Amino acid sequence: MMYCIINDGGDTGYCIVEQLVQLNHEVILIDRKDQLPDSFIKMKSNRFSFYSFDFYQTHLIESELKNILLPGKKINGFVYSAGIGGVRPLALTSTTFVSEMMNANLYAFLEFARLLSKKTRLEIGGSIVAISSVSSIKGLKSKIAYSASKAALDAAIRGMAAELAERKIRVNSIRKGWVEADLKHDFIQDNIALSAQDDHARQLLGTIGTADLAKLVCFLLSDESRFISGTNVLLDGAYTIS
Amino acid sequence: MGKFENKYILITGASKGIGFTLAENLDNLGAKLILHASSEDGINKLTESFANKGHLIFRADFSDPLSLEEAWQSQINQDIKLDGFVNCVGLRSRRPLNLLKPAHVMNILHANVASFIEMCRLVCRKNGFNPGLSIITISSIAAHSGGPGVTAYAASKAATEAAVRCMSKELFKKEVRVNSLVCGQVNTEAYSDLMETKASADDVILERQYLGLGSTQNITDILLFLLGKESCFITGSSIPADGGYLS
Repeated sequence: MMYCIINDGGDTGYCIVEQLVQLNHEVILIDRKDQLPDSFIKMKSNRFSFYSFDFYQTHLIESELKNILLPGKKINGFVYSAGIGGVRPLALTSTTFVSEMMNANLYAFLEFARLLSKKTRLEIGGSIVAISSVSSIKGLKSKIAYSASKAALDAAIRGMAAELAERKIRVNSIRKGWVEADLKHDFIQDNIALSAQDDHARQLLGTIGTADLAKLVCFLLSDESRFISGTNVLLDGAYTIS
Repeated sequence: MGKFENKYILITGASKGIGFTLAENLDNLGAKLILHASSEDGINKLTESFANKGHLIFRADFSDPLSLEEAWQSQINQDIKLDGFVNCVGLRSRRPLNLLKPAHVMNILHANVASFIEMCRLVCRKNGFNPGLSIITISSIAAHSGGPGVTAYAASKAATEAAVRCMSKELFKKEVRVNSLVCGQVNTEAYSDLMETKASADDVILERQYLGLGSTQNITDILLFLLGKESCFITGSSIPADGGYLS
């Protein structure tokens, strides 16, 4: 099987690539960062290829994909694990801020989905997975734009799943809680300043391992999950019940 | 004395459908209205319908959220303190994924999400509202159940509902409530336009919406409740007004 992973320098994306390669799949990594982590430089697998461009400039996606996926090459699925975070109270939630968030978390994903779901590019029975967040269903102060973008992503998936079902293509998102990989990012530091540590404590099972998230992604890509489509799978360490 | 005597209420998207029926109702109940329309036709209709009533009528382009601050500030003066804001602007979209280019998605999200957040930001500025302000935005069952072709529209409505949940948690300290009303199929101009573009006259949604097609008055009745003090304990929620569709 051949899969495409779209990543913005996040450990989650790298972890998914590693697991897929271990499962003997062919993987194309498209990353916004042009430097791979050290562990990847050692991984000289002929089943792994790497491309980098700034896909948050959505108008570039169409032409770049033409270079990455040559005619006749079809993939079995793709994962969107890129996107940005950010916290701001309403008074500072300017239109520009909202647009940046929507651009990275929704528009870029939809543009990849539009282009990669074409009959010439995505096999029948393929699978599309996007990384969403529990913020989509749980409100937090100052996360207006982020929550809106993730809820939009989750709803977009349902529309796409209904449309692509006739080609047996499945579309799902994962509503993740706090994941190890995220805790590195700056926006979490902002969050901690806003006493999000209390929020973190609500995740009864503790921080989710990056590998655990990657495993769920691999399951949703695989044929094992062939009857799961149009869903927003919760992986939240029991956050939403607490 | 009407129930909303001397209450200042802003209705965006007031020239058609739900917004217009709500404006008529609130006018009868004594409210002082600030009515928004996007088009010149809309402004003309509002000016004719509410001639000599003393309501403020203004035009602003919701597909350009960056323009709203100026449009709003040129209308509003310091004496106006809002008691209610109902957002009825909703740009519809029906397109297969294949044709869903970023420019189209952005247009829908700008009109339905970014502009709503921007209006909340402007309305909730210091001294711009009275304690007890109730904000309601019209959402759709599309935000909760998917359908082919409505990807962008559904995304925009789900985004609005998520934003509502966050804003309610931030604004309760200022005694502001924020809710979304999740509407099913309602008999509006937008609905008839949509049905005209479809090949079949049957609306599959109505098969599941067992109370039948909603009227704009049905929705207005719920909006009046959410605007009033009777609903003072409801905030941050997505309230279905869907004739049973989501059940």
